[in-house]
Amino acid sequence: MTMNRRDFMKVSTAASGSLVLAVSLPGCSTIKTGFEEETGQWSPDIWLELTTNDEIFFTLARVEMGQGTYTGLTTLVAEELDVDPARIKVKFAPVAPEYRNPLFGLQLTGGSTSVASSWKPLREAGASARQMLVMAAARVWKVDAADCTTQDGRVVHPNGIDSLRYGQLVELADKEVIRGDVALKPRSEWKYIGRKGGRLDTEAKVTGKAGYGIDVELPGMVYAVMTRCPRYGGKATGFNRSDVMAWPGVLDAFITERGVAVVADRYWRARKAQEALNVEWDFAEAIDLDNDQVFEGYREAANEDAGAQERSDGDFDDAVENASRVVEAEYEQPYLDHAAMEPMNATAWYRDGAMEVWAPTQAPDLARIAAARHSSLSPSNVTVHTTFLGGGFGRRLTQDYVEEVAIVAYKVKKPVKLIWSREEDVRHGFWRPAMLHRMKASFKDSELTGWDHQIVGPQILDWYVRNAAPAQYPWAPQFLYSTLGRVGLMAEGVATPKDISAIEGAIGYPYQVENVSVRHTHTDPGVPITWWRSVGYSHNGFAVETFMDELAHEAGEDPLLFRRKLLANEPRHRAVLDRAAERAGWGTPLAEGRARGIALFKSFGTYVAQVVEASIENGEIKVHKVTCSVDCGQVVNPRVVEDQISGGILFGLSAALFGEISFKNGEVQQSNFHDSRVLRTHEVPEVLVDIVDSDIEPTGVGEPGVPPVIPALGNALFALTGKRQRKLPLTAG
Amino acid sequence: MALSLTVNGQHYSLDVELDTPLLWVLRDELNLKGTKFGCGAGLCGACTVHVNGQPTRSCSTPVEYLDGAEITTIEGLSENGELHPLQKAWVAEGVPQCGYCQSGQIMTAAHLLANTPSPSRDEIVTAMSGNLCRCGTYSRIVAAVESVVDGVGHYEPEQGGA
Ligand code: FES
Ligand code: FES
Repeated sequence: MTMNRRDFMKVSTAASGSLVLAVSLPGCSTIKTGFEEETGQWSPDIWLELTTNDEIFFTLARVEMGQGTYTGLTTLVAEELDVDPARIKVKFAPVAPEYRNPLFGLQLTGGSTSVASSWKPLREAGASARQMLVMAAARVWKVDAADCTTQDGRVVHPNGIDSLRYGQLVELADKEVIRGDVALKPRSEWKYIGRKGGRLDTEAKVTGKAGYGIDVELPGMVYAVMTRCPRYGGKATGFNRSDVMAWPGVLDAFITERGVAVVADRYWRARKAQEALNVEWDFAEAIDLDNDQVFEGYREAANEDAGAQERSDGDFDDAVENASRVVEAEYEQPYLDHAAMEPMNATAWYRDGAMEVWAPTQAPDLARIAAARHSSLSPSNVTVHTTFLGGGFGRRLTQDYVEEVAIVAYKVKKPVKLIWSREEDVRHGFWRPAMLHRMKASFKDSELTGWDHQIVGPQILDWYVRNAAPAQYPWAPQFLYSTLGRVGLMAEGVATPKDISAIEGAIGYPYQVENVSVRHTHTDPGVPITWWRSVGYSHNGFAVETFMDELAHEAGEDPLLFRRKLLANEPRHRAVLDRAAERAGWGTPLAEGRARGIALFKSFGTYVAQVVEASIENGEIKVHKVTCSVDCGQVVNPRVVEDQISGGILFGLSAALFGEISFKNGEVQQSNFHDSRVLRTHEVPEVLVDIVDSDIEPTGVGEPGVPPVIPALGNALFALTGKRQRKLPLTAG
Repeated sequence: MALSLTVNGQHYSLDVELDTPLLWVLRDELNLKGTKFGCGAGLCGACTVHVNGQPTRSCSTPVEYLDGAEITTIEGLSENGELHPLQKAWVAEGVPQCGYCQSGQIMTAAHLLANTPSPSRDEIVTAMSGNLCRCGTYSRIVAAVESVVDGVGHYEPEQGGA
C-alpha cells in the first residue's frame, strides 16, 4: 500500500458545516469493483452492486438517524440508474476512505451535508452504471447506444419493443468504458427526485425489525454498565469489588479510564450489581461549578477580553459616536441535552488481535480511533459496523460510548454490549454549550447604523481536539497526540482550520447595516460539549433575531417591515420572510390573548423564516401555530424536507420551553424525561411548512428548522406580554 | 423460579430473576428486539406492550407479577404476515423518522382503537400523550390513527390481535 503524505493532512473548506477540520486517515481501498463470476455480482463503483438476478444494492455512507438519508441518497442513485428507489436494497457502508464526507474529510454524518455532498457523486454513480448497461445492450443489438433508452431496470431497444434486463447485462457492462463525462438527466426528466415518495425504511420501522445499535445480538454476549464520576473529569481510584462480584451473574468489575465497569451475563444483573457499587473518586481534575458561575465567568471574560474580531464592516465605534440612540442587551443560553430516544450504547468483540464494534454512530471512523485508544490496537485493527440510529442530533459524533465498550471488550475478550441508562445519558452528556451574547446597536434617527455582537463561550473543536485528534495522526505515538492535535494542520503550509462553531450564523448577519462588528470572546468552563442540532446557529439565531426584534420595537416599527427593508440585497432571505408572513396572516387580527412573533435565519445554506402564534394559558406558554417557509434549493423528497423542518421546529420548541442542563457543585441536576422535558403530543402546535420551488443546488434540512423558532416564540411572548425574555428557557411568568 | 408467559401466542417457560423488568425478558431472553428501551422509568412509552390486553410499560413491570400473562409485542401485532391496519397507516402516512419510538406508539394506538373504535382527535391526542417522540413525528402519528378510523369508519380489532 502506498500512501501519499497528503492523505494524512488535508484541509477542506466546509461550505456551511460546523466541522471544518478535515481529518484524513491513512488507508487503502478494500472495496472491490468489477464483475464477480461466482456471485454474479457487478460493482461498477463503490456505491452500487447489480446482480445477474436483478437485485440492486446501494451502499449508504451517511448514517440514517431519522433524517432520511436512507431514502434521500438512494433516490439520487435510483433516479440516474432509472429504477424505482423501492427496488434498491440499502447496505450500511463499512469504514473506508472512499466513503468519507468530502466536506469534512471524515466518514461522518452531520452539518446537514448529506444531500449536498452526495448530490453530484451519487447521481454520477447511477448515471455511469446506467450508461455502461446501455452500451452493453447496444453492443449486443449492434445499434447505437444513443438510440437506446432505459425503463425501470431494463434497457430498451431503439425499436421500442425489445429489451434486456439490467441483470442480463451486468457481466457485459463491466467491460464497457465510458469516455468523457457522463450526462445527467435534465430536471424535466426526473421521475423520483422532487416527488413525495415514501421512505424506504418505514416498513422495517413499524414492524420492530429495523436493527438499532441496542438490538445487536452476538453469540455468548455479555452485558456491561459503567458508573461514571458524578462530576466530569473525576477518576475512580477504588471500589468495593468483592461486594459487587458477589451479585449473581457478575463476571467482572474493574476500574477504567471512564469509570467503574460491571460486567454480567444479563443486563439486569449488571444493573443490580451496579447499585451495590461504592466508588472512591479522585475529584482533583473534576469540574466543580454551579450554573450561575458559568455565566459569571462569561461576564468576567467578556469584560476583560473584547474578543477576536470575526467580522468588521465599517466602523462600529464611529457609528456609536454619531448615534442618536444606542441599545444594548445581554442574552443567556444554557447547556442543552440531545435526548436521542435510543440511549447511548455500543457492542464490541475483541478476539485474535482485532476489535469489531457495532455502534449507532454518526462518525464510524472516529469510532475506530476511540475503540483503539486505550488498547495496544491501532485503528486499522478495528472494524466498525453501523446500525440504524435512534436519533443522533450531534450527540453521536462524540465517541465516548464506543471508547467505553472497547475498553471493556478488550479486557473481557467476549462480545459485550454496553448500555447507558437514561439517567446516565442525561447526566454524562456532551452538551450544546451554554453561551452569553452581548448585543449593542446604534441608531441615527430612525436608521440602524451599527451592530455589535459579542459572543462569549467555548468552541467545540477544542473538545474535538482533546478527544479525537489522534484520528489525524494514527501513525504517531500516543504521547504525542495532544501536542500534535493542537499544532494541527500547520504542516505542509496549509492554513490551520478555523472553528466557527461559536460564531456561525453571527458572522453571516444578513441585514444591510453599515457598521457591523462580530466578536468572539473565547472562554471554556470545562463542561463537555459537542455538536447539537444546528450547533452555533442555535444560540446565534436566538441572539440575532431577538435583538432584531428589540430594535424594531425601539424604532417603533413592525418587526416584519423593519427586517424587510434591510434585506434589499438578500432576495432569498426576503422571499422566505414574505412567504411565511403572508401564510401566517402577519398583521391580521388574532383571537383574544394570542400574539405572533417572527424570525428569519439562514443556516447550513438553507433559508428559513417562521412565524409563531402563542398565548399564555393557566400560567403556561401555549404555542398554537408555527408557519414556516424554507428555501433549501432543489428538493429531493418534499416529504422528508417537511418532516425534517417540522421535526426541527419541535426540537427547537423543546429547547425554548424546557431545555436546560444545569449544574450544582459540578453535578448535573437533571436525570430523566420528567425533569429534562421534551414536547409531548398534546403540546405540539399546528406546523405549516412551505417549501420554495427551486433548482439551485440542494442544501441541508436536518438542522435549519431549529434556530428561528426559539426567537420567534420569544418575540411572540414579548408581543403578548410586553416583557422581553433574555434568558432561556422561556417562562410564562 | 420458572415463569410462564404467553408472548404473541407462543408459550414460554423462563428461568429469570423475578424482579427483572418484562422489557429485558422480551429483548434478551426471547430476542424480541422490537420493544425498545428509552427511559426505564415509565416516562417515554418506547417499551409499551400489551399485557392481558392492557398497554403496559414493560421497562417498569417486573415479571414477578406476570406469571401466566398473555403478552403482545410489536412483533405479534401483524397477523399471518399481514400488517396490522395501524402499521399500514404508519407506512402510508410515512410516520417514522428515526423510528425508535414507533413500536411503542403503535402499541399504544392499537390499544386505543381496540377499546375506542372511533376516537375523536382529542381522544387520540390524550391517549398518545404518554409516548415521546424526540424526532417530532406527532402530527403524522395522529393523522395515521385518524386514517384508520376514517378508512373503516369504525375499527374492528382482529381476533387475538390487539
Ligand atoms: S422505556 Fe419504558 S417508559 Fe420509557
Ligand atoms: S421517530 Fe425518532 S423518536 Fe420517534
